[in-house]
Amino acid sequence: MADSLSEACTPLKQAYDTCFNAWFEGYLEPAVAVRNQQNSREVYAKQKAEEFEAKCGKLWVSYKSCIQGALKEKGIDDMLKQAREEHPLKEAVPVPSSPSK
Amino acid sequence: MHFFNQAFDYDHPWSHVIIGMWRKYPNPKCSHVISVDVLDRTVDPVTGVIRTERVLGCKQKTPGWILRFFGGSEDAYVREISFVDPINQRTSITSVNLSLSQFATCVEHIEYRPTSQNHTSFRQTAEVQARMAIWRTAADGLERWMVQRFEQNAHVGKLAFSDVLHQLWQERQATAAV
Repeated sequence: MADSLSEACTPLKQAYDTCFNAWFEGYLEPAVAVRNQQNSREVYAKQKAEEFEAKCGKLWVSYKSCIQGALKEKGIDDMLKQAREEHPLKEAVPVPSSPSK
Repeated sequence: MHFFNQAFDYDHPWSHVIIGMWRKYPNPKCSHVISVDVLDRTVDPVTGVIRTERVLGCKQKTPGWILRFFGGSEDAYVREISFVDPINQRTSITSVNLSLSQFATCVEHIEYRPTSQNHTSFRQTAEVQARMAIWRTAADGLERWMVQRFEQNAHVGKLAFSDVLHQLWQERQATAAV
């Protein structure tokens, strides 16, 4: 598993990644299987979102507070702020077939 | 401005590719990627779409003139936003450089979609563009260097990810067979 950009955050990051990966594997294939039934799909998505929070929520809080401190320390937070303003990316972007300009 | 694009298929089901996606690094074939951090992740309770924001840390040899002219260091950071959409069976990833971004941007788009039960298409584009207000020769040089670096990384990226998928699913098949 990849390291964090901050050595101090690596153990927290790896614990969180392990939790996410385990949850994600259980999530993806059933989610694809129920994709054509709107009702079951929404019940499933909601239930799984809650399960993710219950299983990995605490690990996330610890990792997040560590990495946010590290981003500040390395001066990456300012670059990130600018990047988020320029490209909010709240929705998926289709792959362009030709140059944008 | 430089535009890059490539497309090919992975011989794995879409779900296997997407499960493997989170395990691509560390990878001996992409040794320039030295760290991966998740900064934000949401699971949409209605659509089931997972949006993840990550920062990848890279260490790559940078020509001396670029370091002298633009500053910066050999540590470079890239911001990546991914959307895993199980309903439409589509994964879209957009990456933008954070380092040197005041001088030039490299915007990469990737998409994984199933083409059949056991095959997944990969499409990738990138646009490298220097921002206007810098000396022309330096801007061209910086663009050229970013393109070269992108193409080289795109090439090893494919080999690296093929290894991960092969190993991950081969191992599981072997375990399942026991």
